[in-house]
Amino acid sequence: MCVDSSAKNVYYALGFPNQPHTSFNYLPEVNNLSIQINFRKNINIEQYRYSIIVDDTPIAVNKSIDKTKLKDTHAGGDEEIFSSTSLGVFPIKGKMITILGYSIDKPQDVDKTIFYGKLFFKSKINHIVKQFKTDKGFDYSHIANPKEKTDIKFDEKDDLLDIVKDISDIDNMYSLSIKDRLTDKIIFESRTWKFGGYQSKDNEPYPYVKIDKNVFKKSGDYEIIIQPSIDWTNCLDCDISSKEVEKYTSRYTLSITLDEENYTKKDFLLFSIIIGGLCGAIFVAILNNRKRKAKKKIDEEIKQKQTAQLQLNSVRSQLNPHFLFNALAGIQNLMNKNDTENANKYLSKFARLTRNVLESKELISLTEEKTLLYDYLQMEQLRFGFQYTINTQADLDTENIEIPAMLLQPLVENAVKHGITEKGKDGEIAISFEKQVSNLLLKITDNGSGFDATQTYDGLGLALSKNRISLLNTVYKDTPFILNIQSDTNGTTITITLSQWL
Amino acid sequence: MRAILVDDELANLENLQILLIKNCPDVKVVATASTIDDAFEKINLHRPDLLFLDIQMGKTTGFDLLNQLGDKTFEVIFVTAYDNYGIQAVKFAALDYLLKPVDPDELIVAVSKAQDRIANKMSGEQLNFLINQIKRSEPAVPKIALPQQHEIRYVSVDDIVRCVADNTYTFFHLSSSEKILVSKPLKEYSDLLKPQGFVRSHQSHLVNPKFVKSWLKEDGGTLLMNNGDKIPVSKPNREIVKAILGK
Repeated sequence: MCVDSSAKNVYYALGFPNQPHTSFNYLPEVNNLSIQINFRKNINIEQYRYSIIVDDTPIAVNKSIDKTKLKDTHAGGDEEIFSSTSLGVFPIKGKMITILGYSIDKPQDVDKTIFYGKLFFKSKINHIVKQFKTDKGFDYSHIANPKEKTDIKFDEKDDLLDIVKDISDIDNMYSLSIKDRLTDKIIFESRTWKFGGYQSKDNEPYPYVKIDKNVFKKSGDYEIIIQPSIDWTNCLDCDISSKEVEKYTSRYTLSITLDEENYTKKDFLLFSIIIGGLCGAIFVAILNNRKRKAKKKIDEEIKQKQTAQLQLNSVRSQLNPHFLFNALAGIQNLMNKNDTENANKYLSKFARLTRNVLESKELISLTEEKTLLYDYLQMEQLRFGFQYTINTQADLDTENIEIPAMLLQPLVENAVKHGITEKGKDGEIAISFEKQVSNLLLKITDNGSGFDATQTYDGLGLALSKNRISLLNTVYKDTPFILNIQSDTNGTTITITLSQWL
Repeated sequence: MRAILVDDELANLENLQILLIKNCPDVKVVATASTIDDAFEKINLHRPDLLFLDIQMGKTTGFDLLNQLGDKTFEVIFVTAYDNYGIQAVKFAALDYLLKPVDPDELIVAVSKAQDRIANKMSGEQLNFLINQIKRSEPAVPKIALPQQHEIRYVSVDDIVRCVADNTYTFFHLSSSEKILVSKPLKEYSDLLKPQGFVRSHQSHLVNPKFVKSWLKEDGGTLLMNNGDKIPVSKPNREIVKAILGK
């Protein structure tokens, strides 16, 4: 093929789909066309025949090649050398020239080359045909010359849709595609036109495309697009724009209504996501609810603890008034005996004890507790003259281990009061701080006459301690305080175990 | 040691004087004063080595007196009946104090400490620090005086990452990664710094929550500090630590 040098928009060597040995050249702006035929060297040119058809008119039929006119050529720059001859120069504008060639050895293999010197055109849908099942087989409903927008209903009996195009000389250069308006995606595309189902009055077959109902997944608008489908890039000197292409494009809208929606995997995915999301939301809601409940529980616990804390504060600040005033009387006695040195000493101790109660510190170190117990015991010793010891296990870090303030004082007071007052100088109180794995043991032993540990005594010391310990257990839930009382006629041992305190 | 006693109650002045005569023969009381104006004059007149100073005196305080005095060339032992705020300030300045009624044993210890400090001549600085702290507006972050062998370090509470107990000593870990050893038990600083938001996570650890990165569940509870240090949380303290850290 040779075209004049002024020619524009020369689309060459475009293959026909589904048609071997066929090529299409779109030459809308070419005036004259020189057709040259190139043979490979291994071809038996003598057996080659060709026909030239302009539009519908054959101007040469089954002609053989004039061997004398054959020349060697590179045919456009290939290394291969072809034997070449010209078939002549033809005016092409507004015409379609078809060249057919075959070897008489293989007359079924016809090479067909179309030179299309006309413009593409808009196709038309001639019919839309719906195929549906009946008792006997199939039947069809037709919509002739559909408008730009056509309503189509599918029920379960419906099967297929045939889109029937009008007849043209280059049907196979057109494609039909369907776009889902909702997603703006092409869901179907075909360049394979079927022939034979529908015929014109002149018994010419209409090209048509079969579309399965399942192509339409959902009710909605779908666009049928019929347009020339050539490789617009396979072109010399081209300036055809998409606007230009749009001129040759026909669009129809199908409003599809489905009785039953078809769901794709994607839909399922979407549904799963939605359902998953819902489940998630419910889960989150449940979680939130649980959180709220947990928070409520925590809030309640906090409230409980705060109450316990308040009660603890009030319990802690109760130094037995009996002790207080007796201690002051003891100091008065020292003053009256002119023992000012001891009066000073005991007064300081008394001050330290009461200050500690007034300051109502929550925690004090074992060292501080020990000092307070010494202060207290020394003042009581002044009154009753008993013996006492406070022992600390050697590896106990008394400086840094903290316990609730004034935890032991009421129990020590109890030991003094109920244990050893009658014994006078023979009375003994032994206090010890011990470690038992991670438990802290605080022990108070006296050699008094004992009491029935199963009985509830209203003696202030014990009742106060029991009350305080139960309050402490509200605050220190994970490290319970355990009060243990062993008492017989030989004496009493009271132990407070601070579980996992160390 | 020449001492002046300042207290607005005569009985207290007498008591202290008697206790000093009985227990501290090294101390010679050169004057007593019951108002801060009186005290101001007597201090300027006598230039004492040691001042026993009541904190709360009617509407005025011992701090007011100190504020009026220029160069403080004397040691001060504060004496107070019951004044948490004042004592707190005195503790932050690492100064000494006695509680009324004065315990003779504690008096002896305080006087001997004062004697040591006179030799080191550090108290003027500490007293000025105390006055400045008192004058500060409440929301400001306080500083704390950390006595070292030859100097006093003044550290902003915000710069203390944590404190670690070593028996009766306390290691201060500062945000500059510096460590300072102070010869006072952790309990003392725990009491001072808890109102500043510090949390006692363990018998040996006091932590500034500002430097806590996260709560780790390992070993039943561990605090991960910003610098990567891991601080144990003992079981009894777990709830409190969680509450303070808002976890």
